[in-house]
Amino acid sequence: MTDVPAETLRLGYSSLTRKRMVTLLAVALCLILSFILDTATGPGGYSLQTIAEVLADPYAHGARLKVIVWDYRIPVALTAVIVGAMLAVSGAQMQTILNNPLAEPFTLGVSAAASFGAALAIVLGVSVIPAIGGLLVTVNSFVFALGTCGIILLATRLKGVGAETMILFGIAIFFTFSALLSLMQYMASEDQLSRIVFWMMGSLSRASWDKIALGALLLAVTIPFALMRTWAMTALRMGEASAESMGVDVARLRIEMLISISLLAATAVSFVGAVGFVGLVGPHIARLLVGEDQRFFLPLSALIGALAMSLTSIISKTVTPGVIYPIGIITALIGVPVFVSIILTTRRERLG
Amino acid sequence: MSLEIENLSAGYGAKSVLRDVSIEPIQPGSFVGLIGPNAAGKSTLFKTISGALHPKAGAIHLAGANIVKMGRKRRAQAVAYMPQAYGCNALLSVFEAVLLALKQTSGWRVEADQLNRVSQTLAKLRLSHLADRGISDLSGGQAQMVAVAQALVRSPQLVLLDEPTSALDLHHQLSVLGSVRNEMRAQGTIIIAALHDLNLAAQFCDRLILIREGQVLADGLPEDVLALEALGQTYRVTTSLETTQRGSLFVDATL
Repeated sequence: MTDVPAETLRLGYSSLTRKRMVTLLAVALCLILSFILDTATGPGGYSLQTIAEVLADPYAHGARLKVIVWDYRIPVALTAVIVGAMLAVSGAQMQTILNNPLAEPFTLGVSAAASFGAALAIVLGVSVIPAIGGLLVTVNSFVFALGTCGIILLATRLKGVGAETMILFGIAIFFTFSALLSLMQYMASEDQLSRIVFWMMGSLSRASWDKIALGALLLAVTIPFALMRTWAMTALRMGEASAESMGVDVARLRIEMLISISLLAATAVSFVGAVGFVGLVGPHIARLLVGEDQRFFLPLSALIGALAMSLTSIISKTVTPGVIYPIGIITALIGVPVFVSIILTTRRERLG
Repeated sequence: MSLEIENLSAGYGAKSVLRDVSIEPIQPGSFVGLIGPNAAGKSTLFKTISGALHPKAGAIHLAGANIVKMGRKRRAQAVAYMPQAYGCNALLSVFEAVLLALKQTSGWRVEADQLNRVSQTLAKLRLSHLADRGISDLSGGQAQMVAVAQALVRSPQLVLLDEPTSALDLHHQLSVLGSVRNEMRAQGTIIIAALHDLNLAAQFCDRLILIREGQVLADGLPEDVLALEALGQTYRVTTSLETTQRGSLFVDATL
């Protein structure tokens, strides 16, 4: 074994840090491009230049295009970015605090609970919060998703409940709500059934400026909150006992993160429906690119989740001209093969 | 800077593991071996000193301050505990893992002198060549050395090592314990190491504490503690202490 001078190690680490910053910037740039492309694609076949002119001046090509671009396409494209980021951040945090690479809102039953909440509203018109009118389905799914996270949170307060128990607990919740959802589908009329199925497939067309503002606000609070705890979160990946010995209050950190996860996951799912996979793909690709130093891992997860969702939105509009496919179908059909191939090809040189 | 334990009792729930443990002051720079059979309470004692477990009664004084009443951050600065059974699948390099241990009690930004401290710690433990290696790709022994580096990089006043050599080959057992002892002696840091290998304990420790069923049975110089008849009874074997031709102590044990 040859000794490496301390200076070399220090410089090596600094250059690694710079490389990671470049990766973050590159993905951010891709996201901006994808966002612009997303606003430029869709039925109508307007040229990129026309769209760019409307972006600069809403009424450049008349009121019709202003409505198409500013009231429909931009909200949809922004929702894709924000929801993608929310799902990926909550997935990254779940994977970290549960020490399990399979954890994400979908696998832990949060999406199933949200779907059940939506179905309950569609079939029975039952609302957990009275007098909300048109937002009935959204609010119901949010409350059920948040409630599920709350139950997982309460379970962690019990003595002797570790990361593994929590995963099993999440799976139990997943099956329970799946069964209840089937029950709702069985009871539903033909029209209601199609609405439930459509809700579950996920759609960005439920976008609105209020939802975008709410989502952006939530990200603006939760991401800095998590960044302040990045060293403790990274330490948690060394194992609970190690983190504890380094001075991390593991129990408290878990609860803080679960609150953040709950709000992000519940909001994202209630906005666009039960979209799986983005919460898994964002963190995994981020991990392959920059490792698990959470200072880079968390922001990159958010960016990749946003990028994945934005690309999904583009693909959902371009596969068959004139048809917008539900995003849940696209994420699974196109995202999975891409994801699997990335994992298989990069498993060798991971830390580079 | 000395460590003293007074009437310490601790356990899990209603179950009591440590019963009224008192340890005479341990001087700065000394290497103390904690010996005793499995489930004697060694890990529980470490957990209590490091703050992972709150004691039911008693006090632990380090340099005049009671660790039991210390805040989490301050205690983590003063006491570094290396837990037993190591291993994780995180995608972090060895360098990052050691830096991480240093960053828990300092600010968010990484300073140049912190990078130097990590580099120097790795060099002292002869781990520099592994700096870029992923921690999940290490052998059991290498992972154990990284855990030692995580404890040392913080320059604590007290280092607790739970079975630090259990996964190491003979060469690394000697080299790790040797470099840890020299380093800590130079810094005036107290080391307490739980060791199963009594001959290793005899070779490196200035003082041995024998515990059994949560109580201190003997405390003194290695040659005195290892010569006790109670040692064999504690481990349920028959022991005799011999001196080898080179002058080192050797515990001969038979069932």
